[in-house]
Amino acid sequence: MIKNNYLEKLNNSKKPFIIYKSDKGFDLYTDFSKKIILNNKNIKKFINKNTKLRSNNKETDLFIGFFGYEILNNLIGIKIKKQKTLNFPKGIFYKPETKVKLSNKLEYYNPKLVKSNEPFKININKNSYKIIFDKFKKKIKSGETYQIKICTKYSNKSNLDALDFFCRLVKTNTAPEAFMIKDKDYSIISCSPENLINKKNNLITTKPIAGTLKKTKKLNMIKALNFFKKNLKETKEHNMIVDMERSDLSKICKVGSVKILKKKIVEEYKDLYHYVSLIGGKLKKNTSTLDIIKAMMPGGSVIGCPKISTLNLLNNQERQSRNIYTGSFGYIKSNGDMRFNIIIRSILNYKNRSEISVASGVVIDSNAKHEFDENYIKAKALMDLYK
Amino acid sequence: MIYIIDHQDSFTHNVVHQFEEFDEVVCTNFNKINENKLNKAEVIVFSPGPGAPKDYPLSSKIYKKFKGQKKIIGICLGFQQILYCENAKIIEQKKIYHGYQSKITVTSSNSLFKKNSKFDVGRYHSLKLQEPFFAKNFEITMRCAISKVAMAFENNKEKIYGFQFHPESFLTTNGNLLIKKILSS
Repeated sequence: MIKNNYLEKLNNSKKPFIIYKSDKGFDLYTDFSKKIILNNKNIKKFINKNTKLRSNNKETDLFIGFFGYEILNNLIGIKIKKQKTLNFPKGIFYKPETKVKLSNKLEYYNPKLVKSNEPFKININKNSYKIIFDKFKKKIKSGETYQIKICTKYSNKSNLDALDFFCRLVKTNTAPEAFMIKDKDYSIISCSPENLINKKNNLITTKPIAGTLKKTKKLNMIKALNFFKKNLKETKEHNMIVDMERSDLSKICKVGSVKILKKKIVEEYKDLYHYVSLIGGKLKKNTSTLDIIKAMMPGGSVIGCPKISTLNLLNNQERQSRNIYTGSFGYIKSNGDMRFNIIIRSILNYKNRSEISVASGVVIDSNAKHEFDENYIKAKALMDLYK
Repeated sequence: MIYIIDHQDSFTHNVVHQFEEFDEVVCTNFNKINENKLNKAEVIVFSPGPGAPKDYPLSSKIYKKFKGQKKIIGICLGFQQILYCENAKIIEQKKIYHGYQSKITVTSSNSLFKKNSKFDVGRYHSLKLQEPFFAKNFEITMRCAISKVAMAFENNKEKIYGFQFHPESFLTTNGNLLIKKILSS
């Protein structure tokens, strides 16, 4: 059994560590023997070499970390123009030597935490958002994109205890892909609900979410499902993502093996309902880890569709680097199995600055004010942690 | 062998898998054509994709070169690409269909499919064919049951076919059957 004060001791020791949601609780990884900071030159070698490392298949025979948005674009041949950047690394992976299983109840609280931080500032105000929104709507009318997600970013000057934030966050929201990283010079906290890659042997699945509904006392699973089914806009967005993910999987899977395993179901979480599909396939022989990552990342459901032209539209528009946002966090085991999420609902704290990015989709029938407010609601859940 | 020309769509590999059920498929980007393999292919497929036919002059060139010599199939943008090469106007439509399932009807008795039969299909298109449209040997054979927008054409003489909807979408029932019939015509 793990003692109650284990987390507190670890946190105080200043040792870097990572916590990732597991089926029954959380897994904690620490005692990192290697840390690899990714760039465009070493990323392919990292992905290919790592998968060939076939050792004893211990639970720690894996690399865990994240790919940022930019490096995933570059990996599929999409360049991003010069942006305002924090010079935060494009991706970092760690080789842990210790893995500890934690229960669902993470006990840690920092009484000394100074919570009063600077108020958050948004990078795009309502008017600028409307201008971008209208521009993209025209692009939908002319067929250049069918769905596009505008990203807005809230940031402030702050110093935070990442573990304290994470524990409070998962208390109210036990997202299935939640994770945190604490290293010496940065931390990431995320309650991502979305799994992008789950690969075991030659089976691969992806579980896109399109459609979220806040829980109320009047709602139940059946009513939530009816809401999604009747909502034509949500249905169309979801359909598009399902076909896109089928196509991404088809790049690397055997003909006829790509199937929708769960079609448009509702999943219940602590305070929300998600409209979810599960799509899977059998990998073609000799598919490399790099092939899989290039086929699936960056995850389509948070970008828009079709992926390449939509990424180009976004990258021409956005003046600030997305950093980790809409990148992927997860691990690659030495036997080639892997699990990756999509980094959303996240806080990046680096150089005493916090940033929270959020995005919502523009389709032909969306409304600028509604989407702008929706973005604020998504960010607020995280900004409230600073109070 | 079937050569699929990819216009960088996020649905192209669904098309690839659908055609691979019937024959060997080669798929490349529209600007990275393998001339040798294209020459050898019996069937050319123009994939869906973003934008409009005028954005893809290379694909228009290929169509004009092989028209009448090989079976040619166009899907969504590919459908528009072929019609555009036949001097049709492709225009924006008021109501846009992305991720939309709708009913279509076979409207012609010259079609490979039975007149008046109905299909549920998936649609992802901003643009449509402006009508009236006339081109030698071409006939509009399927239409949206509600808006009457052109959903398929057939040129059974020169073996040229096009679908405005997506036969490979999970929203299309009997998509494989449609492709099978076109391939075996």
